[in-house]
Amino acid sequence: MNAVAAKVLIVEDEKQIRRFVRMAVEEEGCQVAEAETMTQGLIDAGSRKPDLVILDLGLPDGNGIDLIRDLRGWSDVPVLILSARSQENDKIDALDAGADDYLTKPFSVGELRARVRALLRRRSRSGETVSPLVEFGRVAVDLSRRVVTRAGEPVHLTQIEYRLLSTLLAQPGKVLTQRNLLREIWGPSYIESSHYLRVYVGHLRQKLEDDPTQPKHFLTETGVGYRFQP
Amino acid sequence: MESPTSLLEDSPEKFTRAQGFLLTVVACAGTTVVATPLLDYLDLANIVMLFLLTVLLVAVRLGRNAAILASVLSVLLFDIFFVPPRFSLAVSNIQYVVTFAVMLATALITAHLAAGLRQQARESLAREQRTRALYQLARQLAGTLTVEQVVDIARDFIEKQFNARPLILLPDEEERPRVVSHADSLMVETHLAQIAMEGGQPVRSEDASGLGYAQLYLPLRASMRVRGVLAVKFVSSPTDLTADSTSLLEILASLIAVAVERLHYVEVAQATEVKMLTERLRSSILSALSHDLRTPLTAMVGLADSLFLVKPALPATALETAQALHDQAGRLAGLVGNLLDMARLNAGEVILRREWQPLEEVIGASINLLGNALEGHAVKVQLAADLPLLEFDAVLIERVLCNLLENAAKYAPKGSPIVVTAKADADAVEVAVMDHGPGFPEQRRDDLFKMFVRGESESSKPGTGLGLAICKAIVDAHGGQITADNRLDGGGCIRFTLPKGIPPVVEEESR
Repeated sequence: MNAVAAKVLIVEDEKQIRRFVRMAVEEEGCQVAEAETMTQGLIDAGSRKPDLVILDLGLPDGNGIDLIRDLRGWSDVPVLILSARSQENDKIDALDAGADDYLTKPFSVGELRARVRALLRRRSRSGETVSPLVEFGRVAVDLSRRVVTRAGEPVHLTQIEYRLLSTLLAQPGKVLTQRNLLREIWGPSYIESSHYLRVYVGHLRQKLEDDPTQPKHFLTETGVGYRFQP
Repeated sequence: MESPTSLLEDSPEKFTRAQGFLLTVVACAGTTVVATPLLDYLDLANIVMLFLLTVLLVAVRLGRNAAILASVLSVLLFDIFFVPPRFSLAVSNIQYVVTFAVMLATALITAHLAAGLRQQARESLAREQRTRALYQLARQLAGTLTVEQVVDIARDFIEKQFNARPLILLPDEEERPRVVSHADSLMVETHLAQIAMEGGQPVRSEDASGLGYAQLYLPLRASMRVRGVLAVKFVSSPTDLTADSTSLLEILASLIAVAVERLHYVEVAQATEVKMLTERLRSSILSALSHDLRTPLTAMVGLADSLFLVKPALPATALETAQALHDQAGRLAGLVGNLLDMARLNAGEVILRREWQPLEEVIGASINLLGNALEGHAVKVQLAADLPLLEFDAVLIERVLCNLLENAAKYAPKGSPIVVTAKADADAVEVAVMDHGPGFPEQRRDDLFKMFVRGESESSKPGTGLGLAICKAIVDAHGGQITADNRLDGGGCIRFTLPKGIPPVVEEESR
């Protein structure tokens, strides 16, 4: 736990949802501020400088996605989205606008706390010097030497596989949209060619996961994108 | 507007034949009376001119026959009243015979030419009238909004131009010609109409008229297909139909055909628009409903959970209740989700967001998504090595797999494994989810995929019987099949297929 309590801003119009979200976040030892509307949320985000924003996409005075775009103009505070299922497009838009993660309603307090912890951990880590060594499962990646080993054995990755891996590793826990990854790795003209991304994620799983059919680290967010789980 | 004259009768006569002849006689007599007092002042040659003028006028006004009569009468009257000896047919000077001959010849030629000109003038007038009538008809037809209006306009036109009664027949769903409006009691021989429609050629039957049926059946040929039949019943026999009238009727038929075709496409466009609006309305209602139902459910699940956070901790029984509340609310959320999904899938064509992808990925994602629900069951995934990329909507296929896995976990005994296999054949990939549960009752397997049907109707396991119906709707939308089966050693097995198609090429990376 951090020495100074992390500040979390909850932007949600539904009082009862706000209530239990607040309880769950406070349980993580955070200070909580609440906002009911998009306008209030933006003001609070500016004045209180929170370490995490939990944002409901359907607000009475506007779309939460606009709030993210606005916020991203001057802040890189992590944003956790609360959204209803069957709105993949909203999720993608929110993530593309700069949100970090999302929870699908209804969600349990356990899930919420896990996401909050992960996002706050990333924040506290950002101040440290970044280590070029990343380890997950039985895999070790040395980003400075571009060496990947699995259970001590070197693993050969193609250029694109390596670029995909390092992009995913750079933002652990964060959901990266397909569009985002395609643009980053293949370039803007490949944005519609999602099968490239899928095939190469498959390659990474084949080479780095213990059971490629039930991956533990390179997770699919169906219809949205991918997440690297250390 | 002047009332259009009938085009069927060749040309209008202002006077009957008898009246014409009487007028001719009067005209010639009049000329005689006028010329008699002039005899003292004028040469006989000039008197002849007066008679020729009369013949010319008669030819122009009254036609050829009257003009011939006028020619003969003029010569006779000239002979009797002007050529000496007067008041007799006798001629004193043989020269006058030449005068008569020339006069008769001139008169007849004049009559012929003048009458010919008159005939031509009348024909071109008729042609012009016809063109104007057709033009007007085309303009009226272009403005029609319903087939009934087309019928009314066509009826007006045919009644005025042909003194006949028309009916329009359009094909019904079984491609049989059917009368559009029953306001008219005209009888049609549907068999003949059918022949005209199928053959695309006009059909005429004289026999039909005696029985009160329409005699002429013209196909309504438009650019795409024959759109129907125009049946016409003539009051008089249609045998005296001139070539002009027949071609006019054919032009009329094609004008009507174009109008009917246009209306058909207007209808198609309107139906599409209505469907689009309905679709939009439905999806906005569904998403509003989904939001409104999910919000309180989210609060219930979360609030039940939050009871665990209360300090000091609540007694164990209270926490048990809180857990039960959480579970029940979660189940309710699942049911609401299923119902909304079913409503969405049942509402019409499912909109698929198809993308080419490996099957492996969506299987892994489904297992990951279910998480705790699969507790107590090891899931074994056995995929053939040669599986191609498939084109499907990942979110929906994930739904299918989740439903199947959840079902298997629900009915199979704890600790038993669930197996997911996939193999490719010539044109599809078959996915199977197998468990060690009680399997499916033999006799009702096809019913399983219907809505609200469950394997055991009074099962103690919670459920609505929507899960498999949703799976079927999704698999159907992808052009696949889903079947329920039992494994040889007992235990259920659900298989579904996804068509293969031609996957895009993923270029090998240059190293």
